[in-house]
Amino acid sequence: MKITVRTKHQNYTVACNEGERILYAALRSGAPLPYECATGTCGTCKARARPGDVRSHWQSAPGSSYLKPERGEFLMCQSTAHADCEILVPGKPAAEVAGGLLPEYLKGALCDLRMLTHDVAAFDVKLDGTMAFRAGQFVAVRTAGLEGYRAYSMVNHDERTDRLSFVVKRLPGGGFSNWLFDGSPQNQPLEVFGPLGRATYDPSEGKDILCIAGGSGIAGIMSILAHSTRAGHFEQHRGRVFFGVRGMRDVFFHEELSDFVTRAGGNLEVTIALSDEEVPASAQSDYPRLGFATGMVHLVTSERMSDQYGDAVAFVAGPPPMVDGTLRVLIVEGRLPASSIRYDKFG
Amino acid sequence: MAWKKACSVNDVAVDTLRKFDVGGVGVLVANLGDEFKAYPPACPHMEEPLEQSGVCSGGLLTCTKHLWQWDMRTGEQRAPAEKPLLMYDVRLDGDDVMVNVEHELEYEYEEEDDDDFEW
Ligand SMILES: Cc1cc2nc3c(=O)[nH]c(=O)nc-3n(C[C@H](O)[C@H](O)[C@H](O)COP(=O)(O)OP(=O)(O)OC[C@H]3O[C@@H](n4cnc5c(N)ncnc54)[C@H](O)[C@@H]3O)c2cc1C
Ligand code: FES
Ligand code: FES
Repeated sequence: MKITVRTKHQNYTVACNEGERILYAALRSGAPLPYECATGTCGTCKARARPGDVRSHWQSAPGSSYLKPERGEFLMCQSTAHADCEILVPGKPAAEVAGGLLPEYLKGALCDLRMLTHDVAAFDVKLDGTMAFRAGQFVAVRTAGLEGYRAYSMVNHDERTDRLSFVVKRLPGGGFSNWLFDGSPQNQPLEVFGPLGRATYDPSEGKDILCIAGGSGIAGIMSILAHSTRAGHFEQHRGRVFFGVRGMRDVFFHEELSDFVTRAGGNLEVTIALSDEEVPASAQSDYPRLGFATGMVHLVTSERMSDQYGDAVAFVAGPPPMVDGTLRVLIVEGRLPASSIRYDKFG
Repeated sequence: MAWKKACSVNDVAVDTLRKFDVGGVGVLVANLGDEFKAYPPACPHMEEPLEQSGVCSGGLLTCTKHLWQWDMRTGEQRAPAEKPLLMYDVRLDGDDVMVNVEHELEYEYEEEDDDDFEW
């Protein structure tokens, strides 16, 4: 079917499959519509339709608190259409689809599942095709038997790859979490839609980078470090990473982070912020290339960065309260312009 | 004119925002240090309550939901914001912050071309 998307500045005609999320149909055909989470939580993708033209598949999505249903408002990422229709999208479309990379659907299978901590697992998806993505991007993942999609940020980075790596923190009782941690997901089929997201790293910007992650928010930061290291970024520019976890038993990727520090030859600093625990005496000797501090990650960032923000580009990812607290620090203390702050709120 | 007391000058710390009920109208009062300003309490973008989502720094107000920004003195938008901030007139009467709430200011959340979007 055909969906006519009207925005203030431009109209788009979009081919949409039966059962396909309207947002996904629009994005893969190149219409740069507003969205953030692509999975029903943020409300950013709201639009209007005539009564009966679209159907929401998740009435109680957290993002629907931003809707006025009496005005025909709906979330494009949670809704489908069953006949040709017209929708109205408020606001300006984004300037571009990140890197000009249009998202698409790819099938794959889960492999290499391994536990990184007591409640964090890593796995790869071996794709049937290949995907090109920018460091910092994510995909929407779907498995059989699970309602809706889940957003997961890629950990790895290559210009084009048939393998996507992820880390997932267990959410007790969560649908994907149960499937991943309690089921037998090895070699199970998955569908991914991506790449998605605008919190992307571009080496040609040529600026220092400041990365602040809470928990599994380190995923996209690892991808940014992989790309920046490969691009020789740290020969000219500095990088600082603040990685917040509860305690020492929650730290993962120490080896990989230490390796990035070594390869950056003094221009990359990684600090692990422990929110619930004093730094044990053994931490520094066990991980000599990493720094440790006690405190919430946004406060540790504030203390350590002090007046050294310069004109860095900042990347922030993690649970929404952690991201909001960090954005405040970057705006008030770092005086960073909005264009230099990129974030993903995981929920 | 409907000048009403919103709060006292000591109720809002410098570079912060606080929401007050001014004769039944919710008003967000900002203290810029040398000046007080008053705005409707909801973000012009998606109605996020700015008392929680708003951050004041260097004369700029930022909504942390999507980083829309405005000049706090003029209400003028800064990229990526697409709409200006509406402002109430404010004057000081001794220690009282007085706001003119003759008409409640509200953002036009509908698009101008909504009208020809027939139901
Ligand atoms: C941009 C982005 C990137 C993210 N990256 C990561 C990451 O790298 N690692 C990580 O651990 N987490 C990440 N998250 C969080 C992740 O998407 C999940 O919210 C989390 O893993 C919990 O999923 P769950 O299925 O276990 O929990 P659940 O509570 O079952 O589901 C949580 C999410 O799934 C979706 N959902 C649930 N029910 C429905 C339904 N009926 N219909 C449609 N959708 C539904 C919603 O988005 C909901 O917020 C990211 C989130 C975002 C927005
Ligand atoms: S993009 Fe649809 S709710 Fe976030
Ligand atoms: S709701 Fe305030 S910037 Fe979007």
